[in-house]
Amino acid sequence: MSVLIDQRSRFIIQGVTGNVGRFSARDMREYGTAVVGGVSAASPGMEIEGFPVFPDVRAACAATRADASVIYVPATTALDHVVEAVEGGIKIVVYPGDGLPVRDAIEMRAAARANGATLIGPNTPGLISPGKAKAGFMPSFCYAPGALGVISRSGSLSYEACFRLTSAGLGQTTVIGIGGDPIKGVSAAEALELLHADTETQAIVYLGEIGGGDEYDVATYAARRDAKPVAALIVGRQAPKGKKMGHAAALIGSHADTHSAKMKALATAGVHAVGAVSELVPAVAAALNVLKPSQESSGTFTPFDKAQDRPRLRGRSSRA
Amino acid sequence: MLLTEHEGKRLLREAGIKVPPGTLVRSPAALARRKLACPVAVKAQVPSGGRGKAGGVVRAATAAAARRAARRILGMRFGGEKPSAVLVEPWLAIRREVYLSVTVDPAADGYVLLYSPHGGVDIEGGEPPLRYAIGPAHRFRSYRLREILATAERDAALREKVVALGRRLVELASSRDCVTVEINPLALLEDGSVVAADAKVVRDECAAFRAADIQAAVEATHRREPKPIARALAGDLMLVWLDGDVGLISGGAGMTMATMDLIGDAGGRPACFLDCSANPTPGGYRLAFDLLDHEPKVKVILVSIFGGLTQMDRVARVMKEIMQERKSRKPVVFRLNGTNARRVEEIFAGSGLHNHTALEDAVAEAAAIARKGARA
Repeated sequence: MSVLIDQRSRFIIQGVTGNVGRFSARDMREYGTAVVGGVSAASPGMEIEGFPVFPDVRAACAATRADASVIYVPATTALDHVVEAVEGGIKIVVYPGDGLPVRDAIEMRAAARANGATLIGPNTPGLISPGKAKAGFMPSFCYAPGALGVISRSGSLSYEACFRLTSAGLGQTTVIGIGGDPIKGVSAAEALELLHADTETQAIVYLGEIGGGDEYDVATYAARRDAKPVAALIVGRQAPKGKKMGHAAALIGSHADTHSAKMKALATAGVHAVGAVSELVPAVAAALNVLKPSQESSGTFTPFDKAQDRPRLRGRSSRA
Repeated sequence: MLLTEHEGKRLLREAGIKVPPGTLVRSPAALARRKLACPVAVKAQVPSGGRGKAGGVVRAATAAAARRAARRILGMRFGGEKPSAVLVEPWLAIRREVYLSVTVDPAADGYVLLYSPHGGVDIEGGEPPLRYAIGPAHRFRSYRLREILATAERDAALREKVVALGRRLVELASSRDCVTVEINPLALLEDGSVVAADAKVVRDECAAFRAADIQAAVEATHRREPKPIARALAGDLMLVWLDGDVGLISGGAGMTMATMDLIGDAGGRPACFLDCSANPTPGGYRLAFDLLDHEPKVKVILVSIFGGLTQMDRVARVMKEIMQERKSRKPVVFRLNGTNARRVEEIFAGSGLHNHTALEDAVAEAAAIARKGARA
């Protein structure tokens, strides 16, 4: 299984007439995603890349039975397009744009929730259920179907990480880009619940960074008795205090924001946590194969180092 | 963007929240021309926390003492920043100090209001404040706040004042795009009135497109930055200088930090965080090289990009052009991967440029070049 999207999801692209919208509509279709149309208030009635363009979301949904949307518009108008989507009947909305005012992010999240919809973003490449559907612009070759659920605050880091996992034979159920902003459509805690409930997801990989509190939600989840095994990569060891590192939330203010505090909390909760992307694959293999460190008698972290402990992706019953 | 106290108090005043009458002066001489009702408080105007504990707030009993305090404060630094001015206010006859703030909190799905019956400089050491999770601003309910305040604040008259102020603060945060509005202390005076004795307001830079005052403040902040940072910001690049010598041109915050960490693991030291993902154009990359080529501490440049929307065949062509026209002889190491990356090799063919397959190999080469340069 996958979460949120699969081959039955029917997508529209809002802002399909822009360069990015056009590129992504074509790219998503090439991946096998069911893209059924686009929306542009300025140029309804035309056709883009073979997709019919509708004047608004309501008309697009009526004509195509779309239930998902990816929105490529600037931050200045993003809130209006997201509200239009969720009030028009769209159930999965992806807003990849960055630089969104936090007040608009708050309103977007509330609008999605009030309408029973799920918002992914802002500041994300989107999400992908490998082999089934992709909603966003991540490079397709980095992903393969498998047993890992992946959650990431950073787009570019998720490409690098998933490319390594896929190259090592560790495929994914769904990769969710929760985004780098403080207020998110789907938070880390909510993404964890989605992957926890998915029967095919055997282990969860979390890609995080300094600043913000998402990593503590990961630790809280991992400490649960029924938690699936969790591996985490936390970047930003070299980041100085008090400087925003690109993402709005990637800023070390307090001690809890630091790399070492997060690593300690994750390790204590039984997460296979590493601080370098080069250590990610062994950590994930360890999460899939060995007991969680908190359950070992020694209480110490044992890295994946036994040659016979090859990752088994299928035919292994889930821990949950 | 953290405002100075004076700027923050202007916003509070505009929202109908009482603040002390104050005079802003940029020099002791300017202060000499003002009539002061002593005693006064002379307060450093600097966008940095911990000012009170660092000696940035002084009580002056006479006009001469106020001028001396102003001279001293204007020569000091707080969190590395020089005060732009001092704010001179009447010394308040404070009966009690409490804490009140509204800030954005993901756990509240929006705004949260915090209140503590004990305000002042030691707020962080005391009991955790009361917490009202509001969410979007329109969900504010005064009766909910009243219930929460009643659990720890025994002064009913003060509670009602805080409830009224709370609504104004939430509306201010939302309507004027503030991420944080903190009043510490909120002062209960001998005459029973309540005034904002200090203001710490953080505004949302992302809202500059709809708020002329934020736009102006962002531009002023950029002008105060050292020239390379100001140039990077003007070109939509995100640049933070670090202490090392391995220059890094990257895309995406997470990938940039991950590469910085690997540089450290390889025995090197990153010279910067430089994220070009907001402007992945020929102009953006030219500017990135220009900034690092002109920075003497940068001994080698590592280009590490994993593109999604950024198409790597285009990036490779731009890199080839830049390498041909560039005057600097600093070595450059490439690791380009992502959308259309399979075409990079053929684009680089015959140009003498090499694209590493593995990030670790590129990082190791860059770190080794920097080490050799340091020994030479």
